[in-house]
Amino acid sequence: MTILKKIKENLFLVIVALAYMILFIINPTMGTNTVKNSGYYIKEMIMIMPVIFVLTALLDMWVPKEKIMRYLGKDAKAKGVFLSFVVGSISAGPIYAAFPMCIMLHKKGASIRNIIIILSSWAVIKVPMLLNEAKFLGPQFMAIRWVLTVIAIIIFSWISAKIIKDKDLPGEVLTQPGLHINRDACMGCTLCAKNYPEVFEMKNKKAITKSYEGLDLDQDKLENSINSCPVNAISFNEGNKI
Amino acid sequence: MDVFTLAVWVVTLIFLGLSFAKDKVRTKQALKMALGMGKGMLASILSIIFAIGLILTFIPPAEIAEFLSGQSVLLATIGGALLGTITLIPAFIAFPLVGTLVDAGVSVIPAVAFLTTLTMVGVVTFPLEKKEFGAKFTAVRNGLSFLFAIAIALVMGVLI
Repeated sequence: MTILKKIKENLFLVIVALAYMILFIINPTMGTNTVKNSGYYIKEMIMIMPVIFVLTALLDMWVPKEKIMRYLGKDAKAKGVFLSFVVGSISAGPIYAAFPMCIMLHKKGASIRNIIIILSSWAVIKVPMLLNEAKFLGPQFMAIRWVLTVIAIIIFSWISAKIIKDKDLPGEVLTQPGLHINRDACMGCTLCAKNYPEVFEMKNKKAITKSYEGLDLDQDKLENSINSCPVNAISFNEGNKI
Repeated sequence: MDVFTLAVWVVTLIFLGLSFAKDKVRTKQALKMALGMGKGMLASILSIIFAIGLILTFIPPAEIAEFLSGQSVLLATIGGALLGTITLIPAFIAFPLVGTLVDAGVSVIPAVAFLTTLTMVGVVTFPLEKKEFGAKFTAVRNGLSFLFAIAIALVMGVLI
């Protein structure tokens, strides 16, 4: 059962691994070439991902929620749109490098629209890419494509925000009072169980909450655990007194 | 390493130093958190990378170029957008490639459709995006990006 579940959770990885195995059996030379093809992307990942993770964690730790909300939230309007374009344009790395950053920003109150702007501009209108484009396709080509892309992103981010609601993103459910762990997001890093073992424990490699009824919750420790969760899977709703 | 990657490193290291000077405990916690994030995404990122390797083997950039120049504009545009969706070619290969095509007289419409979906729409990044942002977000963002990539290409065809 658990093996099947694991496979289901990592279906894409399993398919890729299988494809490699088959390729190596049928045509080893082609297999080696394919691994070589991936070499550049591995280098790209090693150069950018560690620093993106550290930056995301630091911003998460030090930038207060109100600030993010004020500059990138729903009410930031044109200012938020502009700032999102700036963030995406001065970024580095492939689009997946934007994922942890955007998740963190959304958790801190950035709107769906602004997250889509950051993701899209991170992907297509990064400054280093524009320079490259001007070099090979001419400054005029680059400028026109840039203007059109910015207009397109402004329009489709607006449409997306009409369709997608905050609750469609994982880790946003906060209806019942008390402590919640999004088990789909939890990846078993054990940080919460280490930070506050009286409340959190690990079961089947995922964090769960112990029965904490009657326990006087230590707000500092609790907040610590919530803030240090790398995937922001823990949430606390102070509706009723627990 | 390009200047921007370097800049991100420099800014982050300065930030890290300041953070460390201000609060050692919290900084350590932030680093642990970063490590946790990395562990959580590593398997997905590696599968993306090796999937790209596979795709490059079966659909090499040279063949994409041949396809884009050998079809009617309509077919090449839709095909170009689809090929851009399934592949992920670094800018320093994609731009010279498309540059040669445009110089050789191929219409800019398929070229632009290809360039835009190449980076903005991703089949290989879909599983990771879905895991992080949910299925609806991922489907809407990729779907709209695809449609608008074609729109951008058409408008560019008129303008240039």
